[in-house]
Amino acid sequence: MSAIPYVETEAPEVLVQRQTRSGRIAMTLAVLAMIAVAAMPWWASTGTIRSILVLCCYIAVAQMWNLLAGYAGLVSVGQHAFMGAAGYALFVLAQTYGINPFAAVFLSLLVPAALAVPIYLLLHRLDGPYFSIGTWVVAEVFRLTASNLPLVNSGAGMSLRVMKDYSAFERNVAMSLLCAGMLLVTLGGSYWLLRSRFGLALIAMRDNPVAAASQGVNVAKLRFLVYVASAVGCGLAGAIYFMAQLRITPGSAFDPMWANVAIFIVMVGGIGSIEGVLIGSLIFFIADRWFGEYGATYFVVLGLMTLLVALYARTGIWGLISKRWDAPWFPIRRKLVDPDR
Amino acid sequence: MEWFDALVQGILLGGMYAQYALGMALMFGVMRIVNISHGDLVILLSLIGISMATAWGLGPLPVLIVLVPLAVLMGWLLQKAVLNRVVGGDPLPSLIATFGLSIALQNLMLQIWSANSRSLPGHGIESQSIEIGSVYIGLLPLIVLAVATGLTWGLDLTLKRTRFGRALRAASADVEAAAMTGINPRAVYAMATAAAVGILGFAAVFQALRSTVAPADGPAQLIYAFEAVIIGGMGTVWGAFVGSMVLGISQAIGFRIDPGFGVLAGHIVFLIVLATRPQGLFGKALA
Repeated sequence: MSAIPYVETEAPEVLVQRQTRSGRIAMTLAVLAMIAVAAMPWWASTGTIRSILVLCCYIAVAQMWNLLAGYAGLVSVGQHAFMGAAGYALFVLAQTYGINPFAAVFLSLLVPAALAVPIYLLLHRLDGPYFSIGTWVVAEVFRLTASNLPLVNSGAGMSLRVMKDYSAFERNVAMSLLCAGMLLVTLGGSYWLLRSRFGLALIAMRDNPVAAASQGVNVAKLRFLVYVASAVGCGLAGAIYFMAQLRITPGSAFDPMWANVAIFIVMVGGIGSIEGVLIGSLIFFIADRWFGEYGATYFVVLGLMTLLVALYARTGIWGLISKRWDAPWFPIRRKLVDPDR
Repeated sequence: MEWFDALVQGILLGGMYAQYALGMALMFGVMRIVNISHGDLVILLSLIGISMATAWGLGPLPVLIVLVPLAVLMGWLLQKAVLNRVVGGDPLPSLIATFGLSIALQNLMLQIWSANSRSLPGHGIESQSIEIGSVYIGLLPLIVLAVATGLTWGLDLTLKRTRFGRALRAASADVEAAAMTGINPRAVYAMATAAAVGILGFAAVFQALRSTVAPADGPAQLIYAFEAVIIGGMGTVWGAFVGSMVLGISQAIGFRIDPGFGVLAGHIVFLIVLATRPQGLFGKALA
């Protein structure tokens, strides 16, 4: 047995490049957009603020679904369960127990977090497609429970009357700040997560869960954490959305429409990327404003588009763009650069 | 006695759910695909049946005779045009594709038939009943249960005894090995979906006779079918049948306790089964 000749070499001096020019431009624009959202009360009308708030909720919910389906491989069609749960928690805390509604938005996030843990432990036993319908059943259970629960005024729903104690301007400030915060947490948080060590694990898991597990990624634990994080993110969107609506009923709180919206946005925009969520959200937001009046026909087109994307262009619009131009807005790759060259 | 009545009504209701669940058990067992538009297909077939009945003055039996072949054709087309492109190891494409189809179908039905609830005129059959002891049993629910039992028995026998059944079981056990022995998986899949949707043709007629249908009813039927399949145990035909009975009985008893609790009771029993016996009542525990 002779030792294998081993040449001592020094590791070449390389730089790890993690940001690109397109990324820096996009980051600047994103920060400016976030400041603009936070400063809405000083430049936008209440109507505009409400529209932007809905757009922010689309982005947040879609990104949470993207995290679940695009990275963790957990295709949920029942994330609206957590939106409604947090919305109801907000109404009960603020209206019934008289807690400051803006503080209650954050307190209400404990409810989706606490609910997500047992639900995941129950549902993760279901395989692939059955997991999806299981999440849907859970959302139905939430809706039916809310319809029968006297604490939340059963099927009649609740109104957030305490909001009349605040002036319209104060409410606009709160909504704008909450929107900016929500974008920061859901989009910024996802971006930070994907650039971190966890991001490497998540991307490895997205590409192949078995291979990722063999490299030491704790797939089961990571899936669980992503599920809970996504529940809290959806809860935040739900709390903010229903605070702006001032009214909640079991039907509106647990509306499967949100699942449709999230799936459409992520699939058409491009699954497994933050850029895709932004593109998809803008398309859906504009389409909803322009074609919403066509009602059923518009949803037929939406459904068929989702079907066609699943059949012919699984990477969505961002997938087609990034194939042509290598200019990511939110670069998460690590590129090694030799400074001597 | 009141509870015995609830039990009987539950079993009869289970007969209806079994007709939804069989097709789903078949498709999942063979292709590992869950068709999200499963319930919407039932509603679509029901509405077509109702329109035929009103346009041509057909009775329930002629509608059934026309509708089942139509359903078989729809299933075959669904597989050829959509599902064959998305079947595979990754469950995401098939889910998203059928999800999109479901939204499109629901809204298309809304356009054509409006949101109104309709039902199929049964020419008196829906109001006849038989008195056994002190319990009244509707003739129609009894026919539904008998047909469901017949379909389950027929499907079970088809899977066990026929050449087609052997090909199906081989393809579900190992697609590649089955292909090597000369089975064309795509043809087998197309026949499986055709059979599954064909069974929905029966379900559509009975659903429309028993109660009303509206374009937005599909998702509820999908969820009931799904719960029945999981309660019974995935991939077994008789399991889906028994699961439907358990679901029907849970709902009927729930409705007796409180009218707002009926559907919820079914969901709760489903969650309890999932927590205590995730492989289902008839499924084998994973080693």
